[in-house]
Amino acid sequence: MMHGLRRVALGLAFSFLTLGLGLVYWQVVRSQVLLENPANRRLIVLEQRIERGGIFDRNGEILAQTVLKAGQKVRVYPKGAEFEPAVGYATLLHGSAGLEGALADWLLGMRNETLTQQVRRIFQLPRRGDDVVLTLDGKLQQIAYDGLQGKAGAAVAIDPRNGQVLALASRPSFDPNDLDRNWPAIVSQSGSPLSNHAFSLFPPGSTFKVVTSLDLFRAGLNTSQLYDCTGQTIIDGQYIPEQNHEAHGWVNYNLALADSCNTYFATFANQAGPASFLAAAKAFGFGQKIPLELDVPMSRLTNQAALPAKLPESLLPSSAFGQGQVMVSPFHMALITACIADHGVMMKPHLVDRVLAPGGQVVYTAPTEPWLQVMSKEEADKITSAMITAVNEGTAAPGALPGVQVAAKTGSAEPGGNVPTHAWYIAFAPADKPTIAVAVLVQNGGTGGGAAAPIARRLIEAALSESR
Amino acid sequence: MCRGFHGCARNKSPFPRWDEKVRVMKTKFSLRLIIFAILWLGLGVLHLEGKLDPRLLGPAGAFTLLMAAGAVLERVTRYRGDPFILPTVEAIVSVGVVFLARIRPDLALHQLWWAMAGLVLYYLLLWGLRDYRRLGNLQYFWGLAAVGLLVVTLLFGVTSGGATSWLRLGPFTVEPEELVKVALLLFLASYLGEHETLLRVGTVQIGRMSVPDVRTLGPFLLMAAFSLGLLAAQKSLGTALVFYALFVLLLYAVTDRALYLGVSIPVFLLTGWLGYTLFGHVRVRVEAWLNPWRDIAGGGYQIAQSLFAIAGGGVLGTGLGNGIAAFQVPAVSTDFIFAAIAEELGFVGAMAVICLFLIVVLRAFSISMKTSDHFGQILAAGIGILIGTESLVILTGVTKLLPLTGIPLPWISYGGSSMLVHFLLLGLLSRISQAESKNSLAEAKGREYAT
Repeated sequence: MMHGLRRVALGLAFSFLTLGLGLVYWQVVRSQVLLENPANRRLIVLEQRIERGGIFDRNGEILAQTVLKAGQKVRVYPKGAEFEPAVGYATLLHGSAGLEGALADWLLGMRNETLTQQVRRIFQLPRRGDDVVLTLDGKLQQIAYDGLQGKAGAAVAIDPRNGQVLALASRPSFDPNDLDRNWPAIVSQSGSPLSNHAFSLFPPGSTFKVVTSLDLFRAGLNTSQLYDCTGQTIIDGQYIPEQNHEAHGWVNYNLALADSCNTYFATFANQAGPASFLAAAKAFGFGQKIPLELDVPMSRLTNQAALPAKLPESLLPSSAFGQGQVMVSPFHMALITACIADHGVMMKPHLVDRVLAPGGQVVYTAPTEPWLQVMSKEEADKITSAMITAVNEGTAAPGALPGVQVAAKTGSAEPGGNVPTHAWYIAFAPADKPTIAVAVLVQNGGTGGGAAAPIARRLIEAALSESR
Repeated sequence: MCRGFHGCARNKSPFPRWDEKVRVMKTKFSLRLIIFAILWLGLGVLHLEGKLDPRLLGPAGAFTLLMAAGAVLERVTRYRGDPFILPTVEAIVSVGVVFLARIRPDLALHQLWWAMAGLVLYYLLLWGLRDYRRLGNLQYFWGLAAVGLLVVTLLFGVTSGGATSWLRLGPFTVEPEELVKVALLLFLASYLGEHETLLRVGTVQIGRMSVPDVRTLGPFLLMAAFSLGLLAAQKSLGTALVFYALFVLLLYAVTDRALYLGVSIPVFLLTGWLGYTLFGHVRVRVEAWLNPWRDIAGGGYQIAQSLFAIAGGGVLGTGLGNGIAAFQVPAVSTDFIFAAIAEELGFVGAMAVICLFLIVVLRAFSISMKTSDHFGQILAAGIGILIGTESLVILTGVTKLLPLTGIPLPWISYGGSSMLVHFLLLGLLSRISQAESKNSLAEAKGREYAT
């Protein structure tokens, strides 16, 4: 009997060991995967026990705050729709979005916990998350948001010196207060107010010529060489017209950008070839994830999300002036503008300036660091000089300001179909020592100079009048 | 001059024996201290969190005093049985009480009274049961009692949670299948003890194998078929599984014949397959086991919520009182209590609880191996197998290693019947170990006289 007994005892002990391995599997190996299962209510339940920290703009204005109303924690957004959808929302019913979602670990005090927060977590005492101070400037945000009044589109302002995002406005927007009650009305609204239009992809039109410029420089283009624009051209059997078939006559590089001459860029980009074009786009961050706190979809050169290994030659001429299948987000366009302003260095963009623990001590400060070294100072200066010409004697003139030299480029991108063009305007100022770069997009707004430039002008004017 | 063991030992060589006694005393004392720490630290943490029901303090204090009094009385009555098995179970009970106090304080209150009743029952058996061997004389009474209890439950039982396994007796609802466990164990121990040789050697030759004849094996098979059939009719699948394992493993342990294992595994698989194809409730469970994520709001809900809770615990746990299992997982005070433990104490704590069960099971086997009396030997092994399979069936169920068949986790899940019966089994176990230590004392004394 001893033999069998021992075997059964061993078998049971072995089974208990297997059980322990099962626990390892669930508690260590699969722990994170299960946490992310949408049916798992753990995070939602844990959130209820914590008072979310506040969100503030760079001037200390409250953008989001948790207050007690009749013993209930209520999230209020004093600025309403103005900062949406950038700030986002956080509700039990509909989860979270925008910065409320992306910064949840800070706001809930789960990242870099202070000692007090740790003790309070362990003993389950009422806890408060960290406060987040953004780089956004309420005054610029308001100008951007008001400027887009009655339109659909986005306006982004970036400080080119350090990558701080100063304004991030999108229309249509929504009021995040009392969201659970208003949700059905918001989701049924047209124009998708929940999605941030600064992060949506649009054909960039002629604003993209600043990217193509780098391609032409690298291919060895002589910028003073003259080209005769007849209002149209045919490249490899493709008919390339100018806007309104306007013949620009003899133009050099500066004039071609200032007058937004499509055939010039199409012709020379075609000569430079697809590989050079692809390299220039890559230098500007195409095919890379933009390292912002929020999720920005990658801009595209073709209908594929990823960059092609080799751009089809047939797409090249139209891609050179931002048509074809090129799709760029207004945010990326603002970054490109800021990069030209910053003499070829693309600073790492950020929305969070600093994070404060409940006691007020700073637990995180955003570093100022370059993201991409896109081009040389000489190359950037050549583009800047052409953008100055565009403002002084070209299509970008509606963005000019008295007493300040603005550098800018317009775009009127054809979205396809018989609808008005998307109006683009990218600009920075002062041209010699830029402190603000903007990108404005008005969906189906017509020409860039008409619909988008006034918004950009007001943004720049307000930014320069503030001494930062 | 030489009266009793201690006197003799002291005459011969007093110091090592005395040291030994102090050591054992210290061990028992420190074991009890650990148990009190588990209970009161747990309740203390709950109090800090403002989650402790003050009504629990009285009964918890009484339970502590009862445990301490038991330890002192063991000392006074010179208990020399297994010194670890009761403290281990007391630790398990304390963990259970703390978690019930956190999940459902009203149930914890009842559970404390049941635990005290169980402890009293344990000591009554330990000191009141003169000769446990006489239980073996009532072999067919136990068999009939087991089947009778199951029949009564099936006929007059109350259905709850899909299974008909409760009987209403005045203010109480009892779970007769818990009592059936005792009757069945006693039947098996005396039956297998009596027929061991015939079962091992066999009398009928089939090919190259010799198997026991129908007269020997008949009662066993009949008993197994009746009890398992009745349990299946009650839809008590978990208990049926435990009994099946008990029948097979005990038969194998007693006879050492792999043949019995070899026959029973295909039979088990065949029955499982039949159950799967014939019965909807079996199919639901198997499907929830294979993929709980597919029907997460329906059939897979329980197991998915259990896994969410367990996975959320991680290595060190969320801390007592911080988990979500207490209100997210269904049946968390009974079948799924381990999910709450694994969540709030983490892998570390869950492993500790598993180890406590492993200690109880292995001590039962150790008692069995040390016992010279055959009935006691089989009974102790049977108790070990029963506790082991019970805890394995429910623990592998909540961790999705096997399909879930809900049964209580011994000494932890809320339930009076289960608590009392398991303390009763524990009492039998200690009684067997004590009787054996007395035997060996007698032998030692004999040898001493001989020198």
